[in-house]
Amino acid sequence: MSADAAPSAAATSKPAKLPVTVDKPTPYTFDLGLLLAQDPNPLSLTTTTSSPETREAELAAIARDGTQSLINQLLTTCPISATKEGVLLSLPPPQTALPREKPVPAVKAETKWSAFAKRRGIKPKTREQRRNLAYDEVTGEFGRKWGYKGANKAGQDEPIIEVPFNSRKEAERKEGTTIRGDKRREVREKIKRNERKMRRNQRNAEGR
Amino acid sequence: MLRQIKPRTARSKRALEKRAPKVVENPKTALFLRGTTCSQKVQDALADLYSMRQTHAKRFHKKNPVHPFEDASSLTFFSEKNDCSLILFGSSNKKRPHNITFCRTFDYKMFDMLEFYLDAESYRSISQFKGKKVPVGTKPLMVFAGTAFESTVPNEFTTAKSMLIDFFRGETSDKIDVEGLQYVVVVSADEPTSSTTTADDPSSKPVLHLRTYLIRTKRSGQRLPRVELEEHGPRMDFRLGRVQQPDEAVLKEAMRKAKTSEERTKKNISTDIMGDKLGRIHTGKVDLSTLQTRKMKGLKRERDPHLLEDDDSDEGGDLVEEEVQVKRKRKN
Repeated sequence: MSADAAPSAAATSKPAKLPVTVDKPTPYTFDLGLLLAQDPNPLSLTTTTSSPETREAELAAIARDGTQSLINQLLTTCPISATKEGVLLSLPPPQTALPREKPVPAVKAETKWSAFAKRRGIKPKTREQRRNLAYDEVTGEFGRKWGYKGANKAGQDEPIIEVPFNSRKEAERKEGTTIRGDKRREVREKIKRNERKMRRNQRNAEGR
Repeated sequence: MLRQIKPRTARSKRALEKRAPKVVENPKTALFLRGTTCSQKVQDALADLYSMRQTHAKRFHKKNPVHPFEDASSLTFFSEKNDCSLILFGSSNKKRPHNITFCRTFDYKMFDMLEFYLDAESYRSISQFKGKKVPVGTKPLMVFAGTAFESTVPNEFTTAKSMLIDFFRGETSDKIDVEGLQYVVVVSADEPTSSTTTADDPSSKPVLHLRTYLIRTKRSGQRLPRVELEEHGPRMDFRLGRVQQPDEAVLKEAMRKAKTSEERTKKNISTDIMGDKLGRIHTGKVDLSTLQTRKMKGLKRERDPHLLEDDDSDEGGDLVEEEVQVKRKRKN
């Protein structure tokens, strides 16, 4: 079957080149991303009555031809790069369609904010921006932006807090509240507001 | 069905995220288990396959009263509980001796199933072969030989091929060390004999030969090396038994590809050898009735006779002017 089934030629003259090509009537097809070769040629096995040894030899010959052509294909078509870790072959992505294990994840529904941010071209904050540490010019030290001893809590717990004169906020103040704890109330309100919006986004996403 | 867990700790959240559906999936994990009756040969074969699939495999040691083709619910339960989507179930009985049922799940539901009847006489385990063994987790090369695999309509052979590729493909990587090309899994299918009219009889179906060889490369005096093989084991011969193909809708869902961020090729835009961008555009239908052909006296359009008769010379002049304007418009 194969052209290189010529051990006698190799034996007679030692320095003769070993054959590395494989000739088959129908060419192989490859999926190099999976390291896969497909040999569409009919198996030329002798009848089932033949001994197991000859059968194994025949199978091994078919396997050798397939492996040789697969390795030839890999070494000729894939870009090779020599690095410290070794000689690396860059493989193309797999072609053979195999079933997935789990369904393709659903695309996340757009929230009102993400739609707005997209329209305005607002990028999400970077890692550095999200860091809870900022340099304090006054003290010359790094301090938290929020949380325990955060910069957004500055001045809240002073013994004396100035009440702005004639302010609208003071005029509309609820019964039984003072300026003390105003910030904390504001934060709580914001959290509730955000939760309301989250619920609304969720409802909209389900309604789609 | 497992109960839906809402993660309360970061750790459980990470664990759930790990098994959540992903765009680029984790390598499939294989689960090896046995039925209430399972011959020693099949157990050895499962152990061999398990060792070849290490790092992405789980193995059960107890007996399980399961009949996959009658009721696969406990297999899907195991699949969900262990996050395994390949299941190899070994069993052996009088009607189906030395049977390995190969199952795949999709979304923790049974996707397809196929029975591989192991030929007990010709089976040799890995330990029965002398010589070097490949390290755990090495990616094998794969060769499929025979016309049976080339069928365009899905049958048990294409299913078997798909399953075996799924089983042996390991982790997908875009780069591979040349040193890592150490062994090859060769599956060759016998030619279908003409007497396959008794389709249900498994003994008349072509045999699948699964062989594993170590690759030895020799200097050939050319750029490419000469490949020689040395059997590594296991050596298994299979006949294919019952098959359950996937549902049409489930198959479509399972074959869906996620939209990737990589740009799609734009149509009708190409670059020539000089690096110039070429585009092919659609110009719409050309109105050939206004095409200016060669001017001849005989082809001249006549003036509208009744208009000329009725109108004064002034109006006639206007008409000519109008016509000139129309012509200009057409040119524009």
